[in-house]
Amino acid sequence: MGLKWYTARRVAWAGVVAGVILTVTFVLLELAPDSQLASVQFQAAARGGSADAAAEAYARRRGLDGPLWERYVDYLANLATGDWGWSDTRSQPVGEAILTALPYSLMYTVPAVIASTALGISIGLYSAFNQYTKTDYAATFVAFFGISVPNFWFGILLLLVFAVHLGWVPVLFDAELARTHTFSLANARQLALPVFVLGTSAVAGTMRYTRAEALEYVRATFVKAARAKGVSERRILTRHVLRPTLVPLSTILVGDLLGVVLSASYLVEVVFGIPGLGRLSLEAIRRQDTALVLGTTLVPVFVAVVGNLLQDLAYAVLDPRIDYGDR
Amino acid sequence: MNGDDGNDSMRDQVSGTSTDQASDSTTDQASDSTMDRVRDNVDRNGPERFEDVDWDAIDAEGRRLTKTRLAAFVACGLYVLTLAYDVLVAGDDATFEISVGLPWSTTESAYVWDVTAVDWLFVASLLVVGFALVPVARNRRLRAYYWRRFRRHRPAVISAWYLLCIFLLGTVGTLFIEPPSLDVAAAYQPPVFLSVEASIPTECVGPVVDGRCRGTWEYPLGTTGEGKGLAALAVFGMRVSMQVGLIATLISVAIATLVGTTAAYAGGWIDEALMRYVDIQQTFPTFFLFLFLAYLYGGSLFVLIVIFGVTGWGGIARIVRSEAIQRRQEQYIAAARASGASTLSVVRRHVVPNVSNSIVTAATLNVPFLVLSEAALSFIGLGDVTLPSWGQTIATGRGDLGTAWWISTVPGLFLFATILAFNFLGDALRDALDPRQEV
Repeated sequence: MGLKWYTARRVAWAGVVAGVILTVTFVLLELAPDSQLASVQFQAAARGGSADAAAEAYARRRGLDGPLWERYVDYLANLATGDWGWSDTRSQPVGEAILTALPYSLMYTVPAVIASTALGISIGLYSAFNQYTKTDYAATFVAFFGISVPNFWFGILLLLVFAVHLGWVPVLFDAELARTHTFSLANARQLALPVFVLGTSAVAGTMRYTRAEALEYVRATFVKAARAKGVSERRILTRHVLRPTLVPLSTILVGDLLGVVLSASYLVEVVFGIPGLGRLSLEAIRRQDTALVLGTTLVPVFVAVVGNLLQDLAYAVLDPRIDYGDR
Repeated sequence: MNGDDGNDSMRDQVSGTSTDQASDSTTDQASDSTMDRVRDNVDRNGPERFEDVDWDAIDAEGRRLTKTRLAAFVACGLYVLTLAYDVLVAGDDATFEISVGLPWSTTESAYVWDVTAVDWLFVASLLVVGFALVPVARNRRLRAYYWRRFRRHRPAVISAWYLLCIFLLGTVGTLFIEPPSLDVAAAYQPPVFLSVEASIPTECVGPVVDGRCRGTWEYPLGTTGEGKGLAALAVFGMRVSMQVGLIATLISVAIATLVGTTAAYAGGWIDEALMRYVDIQQTFPTFFLFLFLAYLYGGSLFVLIVIFGVTGWGGIARIVRSEAIQRRQEQYIAAARASGASTLSVVRRHVVPNVSNSIVTAATLNVPFLVLSEAALSFIGLGDVTLPSWGQTIATGRGDLGTAWWISTVPGLFLFATILAFNFLGDALRDALDPRQEV
């Protein structure tokens, strides 16, 4: 079986996963108590009307009166065609709300991911080449710190020191400035802390994986052979260790980093007041806007599904030892 | 990899004989006496052979009521009885109500504890963990071996002591400390030894020196804007975190062990279906799954723990499955099968105990993730608003960063230290219990 067949099967599997997840979310939504319905009923009863009639009208308005099967098909079709529902609290389509919020999220996640990946790989390689030295222990400690520190608390702490006491960065995020002057120094200044907080949690994983992977190759016989032939340390590092290390790392970068960044960015946005996807989702949760909650939850889920697909494909393409036969 | 293979089989032989017998509380006495008999035989007839072991005697001893087993039965019975009492008799009233005169207080204080569903789960988890630890605690050689390996990690040893303190404070300490209560007069008190401008607290409980309000021992870590003592909040937060971490992890471990061993043993389409399900569950970013479910079904602590436990077991199940598949090939499994053991008893007495080291490591590393998730959910207001969770206290202090910095920072320090300690502990346990993995 060739790569094409493998790719086709992988893509099909990703489709199945997406379908299953959507079905499960549909079932969860169906089973969950509808707080809006309850409030509609309560209001009708308070006005002296019939709660049942109000519930029926509410169901008709929301398209909830059809049979379960029909609603399920509608739900899938709507999601597939990009009609993600209507946000009551924002009075705009969910898709539009997400698209407005997305640039703010990207503004600090992209620099954070790039910086943490570059730093994580280099520190991890350095640690592997200098195993059990003081620097290695320091790097390990930094990794533990990054994994363990609750990033929302870390963000608050940094705000307290650098914004409230030292006044180096603004306390409140200026969305207008970020929108109009995205690539200005002032915007970079207000994004510095979010990038740093997100970076510390993302760098830890990359660093530890790189170190573990590279350690396997640092002791490998082909590295010894290269060294015996007189290859320079620099060339050993880049050609003989870094290259094989990058293969498993590429998959970790997509899979794990994605998870960390997605969840960390949610809290980081809440702390720093950045009007990105996380804040949008939180507002929706607070105001019981279920369509928007669903939309903002599905975005990271689809990113994760696609990320997993890319990870599998990247692994197969990069590592010739992987056999396509089985899966 | 080639170099490790020798170690692998060596270790497996060791664990095949030691952990295997030791982890099963019912056989360890039996195995002790087997050893005696083996020694006798060696003395008398030269080397002992497989046929010489008196299996009937061992079987009889295995069925005998050991002390551990008796204790487990008694504990189980008491648990069921009190649970029945709480549900049927006490109902909505407090489960325990005892009046005791404490030597240090003048008035007689009534001790009231209405046991909640989470408390019941917590007690059950502690019982299970306690009885699971008995075999290791009783086997002195094994205990010494693990302790020797574990002791090499100094941060992990410190972490273990710290976690023990947190655990005792959170479980026993909360019984003796007054829960934090509203007291507007005592709002915004600074921590002891520190001072803050006298205009910030409504009323300074401590002395005012040079226009600055000083902290007092009455509120050693300061108070929130509602006048709740942060020290008490921190201690009660420990209970929440420990409950979430331990109960949910135990639920996860139970499901993961069941699924993992079933997949490994059943094979075929059952394995395929189960693992494909795990694939899908693992694709859903965990934090968003928690978030979505907490939003839909409300974030009471009980619901939160169930959500964490029922959806967070995928990773552990994968580890259990791959380990169980490896263990299946071992010779002691073949021996057990050859002597007529059923699949169920092979899995229960040979596979699970020998996979337990990986399970313990994975579980220890699962706890900090859950503690952090709970804190994050209560921070954004999706947790139980009635409980003094650390995440929630951090959130309440956000508005007062400029004036009362201690409200957000103090509970965060405890949270950070707890997560760090669990991570150190898990790392050291992986080294101590699982020498094959090296990260």
